[in-house]
Amino acid sequence: MSKQKQIGMLFLLASIAFAALSCSVAANKEPFFGKTVPPERNIFRYVTGDEPESLDPAISNGQPEARIYMALYDGLVEYDAKTLEPRPALAERWQGNNDSSEFKFFLRHNGRFSNGDPIDARDFVYSFRRALAKETASRNAYLAYYIKYAQAFNEQRVFVRDPQTGQFLIAKDFDDQTPPEPLAGTPLEPFKEEYPAAADQAGVGHYANEHNTEFHKQMHTPLRLTLPGDAKARNKALDANPKLKAAVEGKELVPVKAEDIGIEAIDEYTLRISLVQAAPFFTGLLAHQVFRVVPRNVVEKYGSQWTQPQNIVTSGPFKVKTWRPYDKLVVERDPMNWDVASVKLDEIHFYPMSDNPTIMNLYKVGEIDAVLNHTVPNAWLEVVRTKQDYMDGPEAAINYLLINTLHPPMNDVRVRKAFNYAIDKPAWSKWRKVTKPLTAFTPEGIFPGYPQPKGDQFNPEEGRRLLGEAGYPVIQKPDGSFSCPKFPVDQVEFIYNTQESTKAMAEFMQAQWKQNLGITVTLRNMEWRTFLNVRSRMEYKGFARGAWGADYMDPFTFLSLFYTGGENGTGWLDPKYVTMLDDANRMLDPKKRYELLAQAEKYLIDAQPMIPIDTAAVNFVKKPYVKGMYPNAGSLYPWKYVYIERDPSKWDYGTPSMTAD
Amino acid sequence: MLRFIVRRLLVTIPTILIVITITWGLIKLAPGNFYSGEKRLPPAIEKAIREKYGLDKPWYQQYGKTLWGIIRHGDFGTSLRYEGQSVNAIIRRSLPVSAAIGILAYLLALIGGITAGSIAALKQNSRWDYMSMTLAMLGISVPNFVLGPILVLVFSLSLYWLPPSRWGGFPSRNLILPVITLSAIYMAYIARLARAGMLEVLRSDYIRTARAKGLSEKDVLIKHALRGGLMPVVSYTGPALAFLLTGTVVVERIFALPGLGNYFIQASLNRDEPLIIGIVAFIAITLLLMNLLVDIAYAYLDPRVRYH
Repeated sequence: MSKQKQIGMLFLLASIAFAALSCSVAANKEPFFGKTVPPERNIFRYVTGDEPESLDPAISNGQPEARIYMALYDGLVEYDAKTLEPRPALAERWQGNNDSSEFKFFLRHNGRFSNGDPIDARDFVYSFRRALAKETASRNAYLAYYIKYAQAFNEQRVFVRDPQTGQFLIAKDFDDQTPPEPLAGTPLEPFKEEYPAAADQAGVGHYANEHNTEFHKQMHTPLRLTLPGDAKARNKALDANPKLKAAVEGKELVPVKAEDIGIEAIDEYTLRISLVQAAPFFTGLLAHQVFRVVPRNVVEKYGSQWTQPQNIVTSGPFKVKTWRPYDKLVVERDPMNWDVASVKLDEIHFYPMSDNPTIMNLYKVGEIDAVLNHTVPNAWLEVVRTKQDYMDGPEAAINYLLINTLHPPMNDVRVRKAFNYAIDKPAWSKWRKVTKPLTAFTPEGIFPGYPQPKGDQFNPEEGRRLLGEAGYPVIQKPDGSFSCPKFPVDQVEFIYNTQESTKAMAEFMQAQWKQNLGITVTLRNMEWRTFLNVRSRMEYKGFARGAWGADYMDPFTFLSLFYTGGENGTGWLDPKYVTMLDDANRMLDPKKRYELLAQAEKYLIDAQPMIPIDTAAVNFVKKPYVKGMYPNAGSLYPWKYVYIERDPSKWDYGTPSMTAD
Repeated sequence: MLRFIVRRLLVTIPTILIVITITWGLIKLAPGNFYSGEKRLPPAIEKAIREKYGLDKPWYQQYGKTLWGIIRHGDFGTSLRYEGQSVNAIIRRSLPVSAAIGILAYLLALIGGITAGSIAALKQNSRWDYMSMTLAMLGISVPNFVLGPILVLVFSLSLYWLPPSRWGGFPSRNLILPVITLSAIYMAYIARLARAGMLEVLRSDYIRTARAKGLSEKDVLIKHALRGGLMPVVSYTGPALAFLLTGTVVVERIFALPGLGNYFIQASLNRDEPLIIGIVAFIAITLLLMNLLVDIAYAYLDPRVRYH
């Protein structure tokens, strides 16, 4: 090759690279991000997140898995594609009693597992009991604690019975805090007051006394006392309560069994669930993976191996075709499914991936048809959000900062408030581009009709005033900046998990506090699992990053984070707040209940054990030919309604309408 | 020779056990656990999980159980993160992926590197020499996490020629970019080693002799020069092969390949104790075996080694 040719070659290489780069810039004018050629076959290729932990719906509590479980398993109800409200699935219809503490589900008769076995009420009884069994060790079991004795069974507690009379000790005799019994826990007479006399949803009247079994009568007795099954913990509890200790003396301890849990197959196709409290949101909760139905004989035959591709039997619109971990999970339409006529796709290919740029690349070249929520890197948003395949909507999730409220100076509510006042949240959201500033603790604009309280707006002067009041005067220096010399900066830090977006948040907060209060908070980043460990054990000082997404579509899924003390990571626990939530949940009128919940939320934000930052946003990309997939607030998609539209005139140009059909 | 090999193999066993023990200890010291999430679990559920996986037992029992499983059955146990999946099966499944990419990258590095290095040496100080050495310099200095995305940007996202990521089976077009990315640095090293080795050999007396006795330039090169010139390359490629075979964390990550490296990262992030131990032990065994092979090769080439 001559000298000229060599130089020519170099130029060629350089121009290829240049052309490549300019292509990606020129692509900005394209209406969509990358190729828009539908897959040849009637399949949908999707990245749902990292490799699924398990195909067993009782095991994982992750959202990537939740989406897979929605393809593979049906429950009593299914999420609505747009609103996430419960829609009939294996339960054709249901009926709640007057205070939503007991529900009856009427199952359809054509429910079938993928091996053809019929699904009836007993399968649900089994699935619920299994999810709660200690051996299953389900991380989601707590969601079922609303069911009577579910928590006691899950925690392996014991009843206390008098061997002479056969009577059980009653909880409320020993604890003033026990809330009054819901209707499901009071004697059945008279029936009519418990269930509405009017017709249920489907226009058929049903009364509680129609199915008044022995078990049901048992449920309708006051809540029994339970004690820890572990002798050490039990003795500790007894020592703390002399009255209880005396009462337990000479009585026999009866372990709470699976059969004691408040779920009953009244007949083959009627299921009754009795709760320990009024829970109007309970049916919404039932779409959660932990309540989906699994095949008893297969689970019992294969044990932990039952989800392996050669063994697995499922109950959803799709069944496992092939599974190669870390590569691809292929599910195909299950001809046995009761609703197979509604299932539009032949197959869904789930690709387990976690690196966002890699996922977006695959999307751009058209090898996948949609990506999971939050995959578009912040730096790409400027370009991607202008495209018509960019999906955008409010998310039932929040970002917030936890505060360790047990140590000075953060144990002073004025100091906590000062730090809250000093953050310009609208500026943060503007930088993040997609989120909305938040002053309360529930996400904004997610729960229709919920009178969400307003928290404190950005107000640095007030923040400085409060700090001064707490004994840490903020001084303005001649150059206009602030300083707070008395503030013990070594007692406050900001911990976050190492990740680009969390780092940006930490730096933003640090800058705000420096600018508005004159306090420099040290940032400390940690690897994810280390971070979780430090945060949950409260081994941090000051602030920790937090985020929470709804388990179900009700404000209570957020407010309940502070319902128990040990688990919220802030050390804040106020019995008054707990009572307020209990009172709200007992309210029969949903509107009144929302009002009471909002009051509790106001109480929480006034106590400021955390600083709300923003309501997260659903943002992802899906090809315009993917129809029936909506950017709902929980990023959960009932897959059977998703289909590939080959006619460009019927494509989605922009976010599809989210108003209910 | 046999005694040499047997002796080396015997030394390998305690080494592996020490590696396993240190890994086990480090995992136990690492804060956090495989089941933690954004919301802390109720204590009873946490307790149930710990009991299910035997994490509630005293440390010596856990250690003994791990070690016994490995010694007795060669069984690394079941993954904590991936319910019901045995570590041995995961390694069996992901090794071929890593090995396929690794061997291809190895071959590419050898062929490309030796060719470029030899040409550079033969045409020393020519444009060819400068060009290949510039490329080699680039290959050494541009890390694969930069090279990979650049290749993807050009060949996948802009030209739409090649898939940007994912495993497409063997053989498939999906292999091209990861193999190039992975081999670049090795190719560059080999090119430089080959060039240096060849330059030295080409100046030696026996090459002059070969030329003097009238051999064709082709014969001189292939029969005489290459053999001597590539000695430095051979000693470099043994350990290189071990690294390439056992998974290459970064490249597998960038290209989302279901290989050992990808599992290894995730296992560490997930605190998946049996999986981490399994992969570390496997990598250790492979490395030791590769080193043994290199030593055997040396012993074969240089009898002095055998008697040490």
